[in-house]
Amino acid sequence: MDLKAIGEDLGLEESEFLEIVELFLETADIDIDRLKQAIISGDRQTLTEAAHSLKGSAGNLGFTEIYRLSKEIEAAVRENTLDSLGPVMEAIEAFKVGIQKALETRTT
Amino acid sequence: MSPSFTILVADDNPVNRAMMSKTLQKEGYRIVTADSGKRARQMATAEPPDLILLDICMPGESGFDVIKHFKSNARTASIPVIFLTALSDVDSKVEGFNLGAVDYITKPFHPQEVSARVSLHLKLSIATNSLINSQAEKLRQLTEAQTSFLITPEQEPGAHFGVHYMALHEAGGDFYDVLHISEDIYGYFVADFSGHDISTGYLTSSVKGLLKQNCTQIYTPMESMNLINGVLVEILPAEKYLTACYARLNRRKRVMEIVFAGHPPVCYVPADAPARLIGAEGDPMGIFKSTLFGIVSLSVSEGDRVYIYTDGLVESPATKKMWHSETEKMLDACEKGRSVPIEQAPRTVSDHLCPNRETQEDDMVILAMEI
Repeated sequence: MDLKAIGEDLGLEESEFLEIVELFLETADIDIDRLKQAIISGDRQTLTEAAHSLKGSAGNLGFTEIYRLSKEIEAAVRENTLDSLGPVMEAIEAFKVGIQKALETRTT
Repeated sequence: MSPSFTILVADDNPVNRAMMSKTLQKEGYRIVTADSGKRARQMATAEPPDLILLDICMPGESGFDVIKHFKSNARTASIPVIFLTALSDVDSKVEGFNLGAVDYITKPFHPQEVSARVSLHLKLSIATNSLINSQAEKLRQLTEAQTSFLITPEQEPGAHFGVHYMALHEAGGDFYDVLHISEDIYGYFVADFSGHDISTGYLTSSVKGLLKQNCTQIYTPMESMNLINGVLVEILPAEKYLTACYARLNRRKRVMEIVFAGHPPVCYVPADAPARLIGAEGDPMGIFKSTLFGIVSLSVSEGDRVYIYTDGLVESPATKKMWHSETEKMLDACEKGRSVPIEQAPRTVSDHLCPNRETQEDDMVILAMEI
């Protein structure tokens, strides 16, 4: 994942973009925790809110996969198919780790 | 104090707030943020911003609740509100317009789109408001302009400039100004009125007032010059016009945009490369309603210098020297000024170019700034 290129596409300097990516990872951790808890407890309200939050920040930063997967969660809530969300959550976490690694490479 | 516009960004998502803040700060706007509808209401009422970016979907009070409040409160009713909404949500967009929003931005948004829409709606808002309440402000600005006529480096230290100004007559035909547009953005203007037969004193104060009104961050430098030209065409006497150069520096983006209106090229002295001339063809100001100015955009670095000067410095009617043949000397003179502090550099350049000051045939200004 080329964070520098994504940042440039957004008209941001690399240092500014990396700062925002760091903020994204912090909020994504919170959203992902909320999603996991809500899947277990079947809390549809929390699922919708957390998916909306994750979708919003991922979409604007150009992390299209997480954006798309968050929309899948919203759809699953609407269609009452929460059972299908295991692989979706795994995929989201894998992409998040990818971003984390890309960030570490750029900042070290 | 700089006349920066304040934008209130209301969004519960911290990543979106950070993105919008960074993008708009780069354009010179002052940003305040609210993480909820309730907070947005409190902030806008306490200190009304110039524009509000409002997320519709927020927990607690939604964007719709918040805009209803703004529109029913005299302090906030006229502030333009732009909604942030999901792409597919047509009903929200319609509802937003019905409640008084001026526009919407769909999510996910591109920062540059946000920036373009913000500047567009500030322009529209100014145009609307100016019909109602800006006449008094304009008069105040003109009076203020006359009392603080030619700005000195001490008055605006953040602009990092130096100037050398010599007028043949009391009300000289040359004029310069330095404008603090926002925290990291400065404007530098140098102009030369044609002829010395009519007093240009009253005209220069008008130009100073026009600069103050029109050189803000919401207009591109080209738009600013076009607006000023439109007024000058109306107020200048026949046969009167001015050649001008307007450079706007955004220190944060490290970009200098320079508009040329029949003006000699500027001398660009990069910190680590030889000096060179940079110019563009363009019509003078105050003649044609629709006019064509030249523009150059420069990527600059810390320590670079730019010299803007009027043709009195390099032209001589007596020896038939014209600036296009004499500006090579300018490069040499600017190289000589490299190690001199910026405040004194224009004087050094002038001394090098015109060792015999008593033979000066025209007004002259050298304005230099350091990035």
